[in-house]
Amino acid sequence: MKVLIVDDDTIVVESCRRILHAEGIVTQHAGTVEEAKAVLETEVFSAMITDIKMPKQDGFKLISWVKKHRPEMSVLMMTGYLTPDTQNTGLNSGADAFIAKPFTPDELLEQLYNHITCKF
Amino acid sequence: MKLKLLNLIYSTRFRLIASLLVVSLLIGTLSLIVGGNMLYSSVLTETRTRVREDLNVAKLLYDERIDAIRMVLEIIADTSEFKQALASGNYLYLDKQIQNFSGRVGLNFAGIINDNNESYGRLNQQVVGQVTQAVMNPLVVRAFTEVRSIAGTFVMDEQSLRYENPELLIKAQIATSENLPAQKDLKSAVAQGLAVGAAVPVRLDGKVIGAVYGGVLLNGDTSFVDQVGETVFRNEVYKGRNVGTSTIFLNAQRISTNVMNRNGERALGTYASSEVTRQVLDEGKLWTDRAQVLSDWYISAYEPIMDIFDTRVGMLYVGTLEDKYLDVRKQAIVLFALITLAGIVFSFVLGWYVTGIIMKPVNGLLQASVAISNGNFSPDIGPPSKCDMGLLQEQFKIMTEALQEREKRQKEESESVLIQSEKHASVGKLAAGVAHEINNPLTAVLTFTHLILRRQDLAAEVRDDLETIASQTERVRKIVKSLLDFSRQSRLDPQPMDLNLELAKSVKLLSNQSLIKGVELSFNGATGLPMFSLDRNLCQSVWINMIMNALDATQPGDKIEVSTQQVISDDKNGAEIIIRDTGSGIEPEILDKLFDPFFTTKDVGKGTGLGLAVSAGIIERHEGNIRVTSTLEEGTCFTIWLPAIRLLGDHCSYPTKYLRRGA
Ligand SMILES: Nc1ncnc2c1ncn2[C@@H]1O[C@H](COP(=O)(O)OP(=O)(O)OP(=O)(O)O)[C@@H](O)[C@H]1O
Ligand SMILES: [Mg+2]
Repeated sequence: MKVLIVDDDTIVVESCRRILHAEGIVTQHAGTVEEAKAVLETEVFSAMITDIKMPKQDGFKLISWVKKHRPEMSVLMMTGYLTPDTQNTGLNSGADAFIAKPFTPDELLEQLYNHITCKF
Repeated sequence: MKLKLLNLIYSTRFRLIASLLVVSLLIGTLSLIVGGNMLYSSVLTETRTRVREDLNVAKLLYDERIDAIRMVLEIIADTSEFKQALASGNYLYLDKQIQNFSGRVGLNFAGIINDNNESYGRLNQQVVGQVTQAVMNPLVVRAFTEVRSIAGTFVMDEQSLRYENPELLIKAQIATSENLPAQKDLKSAVAQGLAVGAAVPVRLDGKVIGAVYGGVLLNGDTSFVDQVGETVFRNEVYKGRNVGTSTIFLNAQRISTNVMNRNGERALGTYASSEVTRQVLDEGKLWTDRAQVLSDWYISAYEPIMDIFDTRVGMLYVGTLEDKYLDVRKQAIVLFALITLAGIVFSFVLGWYVTGIIMKPVNGLLQASVAISNGNFSPDIGPPSKCDMGLLQEQFKIMTEALQEREKRQKEESESVLIQSEKHASVGKLAAGVAHEINNPLTAVLTFTHLILRRQDLAAEVRDDLETIASQTERVRKIVKSLLDFSRQSRLDPQPMDLNLELAKSVKLLSNQSLIKGVELSFNGATGLPMFSLDRNLCQSVWINMIMNALDATQPGDKIEVSTQQVISDDKNGAEIIIRDTGSGIEPEILDKLFDPFFTTKDVGKGTGLGLAVSAGIIERHEGNIRVTSTLEEGTCFTIWLPAIRLLGDHCSYPTKYLRRGA
């Protein structure tokens, strides 16, 4: 299992990486939407965890792109504040699950497994 | 100008005065008409009876005159010297006697006739022998045939007048006045005379030997009418005319009168009016009414004069000048009019004065209300009135005080609303900015703490400390979440819903907690509420927070009542949600801080102080409002007003309105 983590804040990326590693999941990461797209061009992932608020392009753009080019991949949307509005936009873009920052390792894993295992 | 006049006409003062005037005018005119006429008619009847009585007196005088002649003649005829003289033909003696008695009673003519119709003497005339039937005095004729004294009125024709005394004929000839010549049968009257007199038979030894007679020609005679004027009317003169007049008519022509014509002469030869003539002469009735005598109107009485043969030969008239009584009426009318005028003036003055008194406080109130509409809430309403206007003034005062109070409150409220929304805006911005940045480091703290906690080789101490870190980070997470909740400005997701149903659900959700705490939590939904369009989650968070606050403020045994009631506010249909508790109450000083973000009285970690701030924002965005009333130690009551679904109209948003009211 391979998961792509996208966030402009490295500490968040690092946190996610550590949690997933502990579960034995391979991770790859990107700091911007552009970077993520480039990685996705070459590699295949079973899931992607992405932040929404990022400089230049935001997470919704990435999710829409992913749904077009990697429809088989699950997407977990990560945001500082989960409002019904952002939730709706995320769903429309193609996100499969949501999680609000900050979270505990268990919360992240629960979301990930709940929505991604069914796709394996 | 016209407007001013209209204003005046419609003013209360004018109306009051006008009604007073109308009343006094009405009463005045009525009394003028009724009083004037009553007075006049009573005077008229009074005068009529008086005139009738006067006529009786005049008639009495007339009869007395005749009687006087008869008595004198009877006395003369009874003396033996007279009888002897007549029997023996002593002309000298007889003539002396004629002179004598004629002078005593003022006779115009007199004479002595023996039983052979031979004249034995005449007043101022030569004795002629045989007296012809044509000139024989009718009194004498009757005295001979009936053998008794005969006295009364009789008509003398031209022949007999000439016979008695040619001068009498001249006297009897009264120029027919140019006016009123209408009566055709009166032409003959011109040369005729009306006379009164008596004839007494002279008896010697039971045998009639002759008769003595005498009389007065009434034509042109003034003594009788002047006597009536003197005894009955005391010669009263009114405006240059005799008040009392009397007249003797031969048929309808005035032959003796004290009625004066325009030239101040006695109106001899003029005629009575045709109505009078018809009624009195033709029908033999009495006349008592107004009658025109020449140019003036008289209240008059006429009666027929009968001659000795009982035929109507003339009329006797007395009358009083109507002018005198008309003037009485005129005076009365003038007097009444004056009284009415005085009444009008009085009522005008009174009306002016009274309305002034009445209107003064009203005007004061009027000015005061103008002042109020100009924003002056403590106007001068004038001195307190003692009448029921005073009550109005009092109420007005209360009203102005209430207005002042309201104005003050509104000012405070709008100020605090302003401050409140400013606070909200700045806090919101800050929170949104900060929260986002805090979340990332918090994620790391939470992640690493939990990852370390997973390790089995941790010393118990370290584990405890790490757990503290974890729980405190959770606290931070909650605070940040509330902050973000508070600052969130996302669109509402309104859905039509039944308010009572939603409230019932929330109350049920918290019923366990209240049970544990020993607080009675009840819900009472009003029936007939309209449908609402609300964001379910947000609204539920509002009343859940309020019920939780109430739970926090109550002790075991207290009560929390949640209820709804339909309300029409600002002509909008809606409902109120009332959350009332019997808990600690809120100190008045902090009442206006309740809705400030982060204001809490709860222990650290127990409350963030964002509950009510967020609630206010949510209700505001539903175009509702929240009010609080609280009494320390007695309890608190939160009231949420929410508008129902509107079918029409735009959804404008209003500034937040927290209506606070301390108890
Ligand atoms: N029913 C009540 N009775 C007495 N005090 C009340 C009541 N409701 C609110 N308060 C007071 O208002 C304060 C503010 O309430 P609010 O709901 O905004 O914050 P909180 O309850 O303290 O914290 P939070 O709701 O964010 O957990 C409370 O701390 C309390 O002092
Ligand atoms: Mg609260």
